[in-house]
Amino acid sequence: MKLLRSFQYQLFLVPILLFYTVFTIYPLIRSFFFSLTNFNGYSKQYDFVGLANYVKLFKDSAIVSGISYTLFYAIATTILTTIFAIILALILDRNFFTRNIHRAIFFFPSIPSGLILAYVWGFILSPIGSGVMNNLLHGLFGVGPQPWLSDPLLAKLSTILVAVWAGAGWHAVLYLAFLQGIPKDYYEAAAIDGATRWRQTWHITLPLLAPAMTVSVMLLLTGGLKVFEIPFALTKGGPGFETHTITQVIVLRGISEVQFGLASAMSIVFFLIVLVLTYFQVSVMQRREEKIQ
Amino acid sequence: MTESTRKQWWLDILMLPVGLITFFPFYLIIVNTLKTPAETAKNPISFPSTFNFANYERVFNEVPLLQSFGNSLLITIISVLLMVLIGAMAAYPIVFNASKVNRLIMGYLLAGFLIPFQTTLIPLFELMTTFQLVDKLYGLIVVYMGGSVFVFFLMMGYMRTIPKELPEAAVIDGCSIWSIFWRIIFPLLKPITVTAIIFQTMWIWNDFLAPMLFLNSSSNATLVLQVYKAKGEFAVDWPLFMTLTVIVLIPIFIFFILMQKQIVKGIVGGAVKG
Repeated sequence: MKLLRSFQYQLFLVPILLFYTVFTIYPLIRSFFFSLTNFNGYSKQYDFVGLANYVKLFKDSAIVSGISYTLFYAIATTILTTIFAIILALILDRNFFTRNIHRAIFFFPSIPSGLILAYVWGFILSPIGSGVMNNLLHGLFGVGPQPWLSDPLLAKLSTILVAVWAGAGWHAVLYLAFLQGIPKDYYEAAAIDGATRWRQTWHITLPLLAPAMTVSVMLLLTGGLKVFEIPFALTKGGPGFETHTITQVIVLRGISEVQFGLASAMSIVFFLIVLVLTYFQVSVMQRREEKIQ
Repeated sequence: MTESTRKQWWLDILMLPVGLITFFPFYLIIVNTLKTPAETAKNPISFPSTFNFANYERVFNEVPLLQSFGNSLLITIISVLLMVLIGAMAAYPIVFNASKVNRLIMGYLLAGFLIPFQTTLIPLFELMTTFQLVDKLYGLIVVYMGGSVFVFFLMMGYMRTIPKELPEAAVIDGCSIWSIFWRIIFPLLKPITVTAIIFQTMWIWNDFLAPMLFLNSSSNATLVLQVYKAKGEFAVDWPLFMTLTVIVLIPIFIFFILMQKQIVKGIVGGAVKG
């Protein structure tokens, strides 16, 4: 009877185990397998090549540039979005007349597809004179047209600008929820002790945001490493391979050029990067949480 | 206490320019839909001199918008529905039929969080080709089913708050394991189901990578994919492209207006548990 019931329970696991194993675990294992072969997707004939694909990764300048830009993007957007989101949350937590409309304005950019938003920014940052940004800069400061999307450094910064603009409001909402959970008497006690507003923020509010920060930074970091749409829509990975992302490398080398072995090696390296960085970030920040409490 | 309840008007003044700058891209796309390319090139920032809705007519004539909207809607609704069902079902035995085996299964499923979609992409592409699922709407839906793991995680956390005695009492009353889930447990999951639906809807509705890889023909394109295709075709005609953008943003804007409270609750609930 108990066995029968247990069996009936276990049946509920069948659909998820089926889908997850076939469409996530099997491809992961196969990716690892491909990465050790010279399989090209078509011919049935292929050989084991050991770690040759992994060595090749670091000799392919497009791939090296893809890895370094992706890391730069993930770290820069994480830091900047966190700073802006916390400042925004602190302000939006105060009481002022247009608070709700501001909350909506900052939050809305995180709702539509990043691809569409990046296209809109492509119009703003268009390098020709009629581009909105160049138009504004010329009108306000008399500055000549800047190559926002075709200069290596400016292109990188532009993609980060768009990502921070799109993401800060979302993360501010997360921080805001934690801010509202801080008991008011903490502040009252501090005020009685003569702490200024600034010192209250620095010594009470920010440390109490630590748990929110662990979650928010983790989401930003993993999201940043998986980036694809914003640089793809803004710069197509250019100029050259300056804003090439890891995802774009996998699509280009794997799907377009059918170099399954090489692209799979990239996939596995990417998996390890995400794993190691996330593990490192979460464990460091959780230790920080404990220290604060 | 009076200080924190009094409205601080100086913050209104401080935030006004910041809010305007943040909103500026949306202002730009709206005003430029009413212009001709020449007008936009001359002054992209200005308010349009005349209200010209020709761009809207052209976009509707040149882009199969209704079809793409239908595709996006169909893919999103079916995927989200299936993910919610599969995820909730999976949490049921893990929580109420706890055992060593089920703890292992839980670990196996949660490992899915650490596997980026990109890592599975190439074998997935091979798999889809072998099963002839490429360029089929249901093929894409199948790909999205990997997302059930996230729903499972949310559901499991919420289900643990349901007292164990509840299904036990129902068993004594002669209720089957099957009907306990559908009649008692699943209805209790409503709040977390809303969270799961919002997260997964926003992901699938906005997704670009998977549709780009797995849907080729224009008649199968989602709205986001249609914008991507149009970007190539309307390359030089910004007003026309902006018009398409505005139209494509309308459904998501309505979703935002209607669901803002739930979205915020979902982010907070999902993140706190995550």
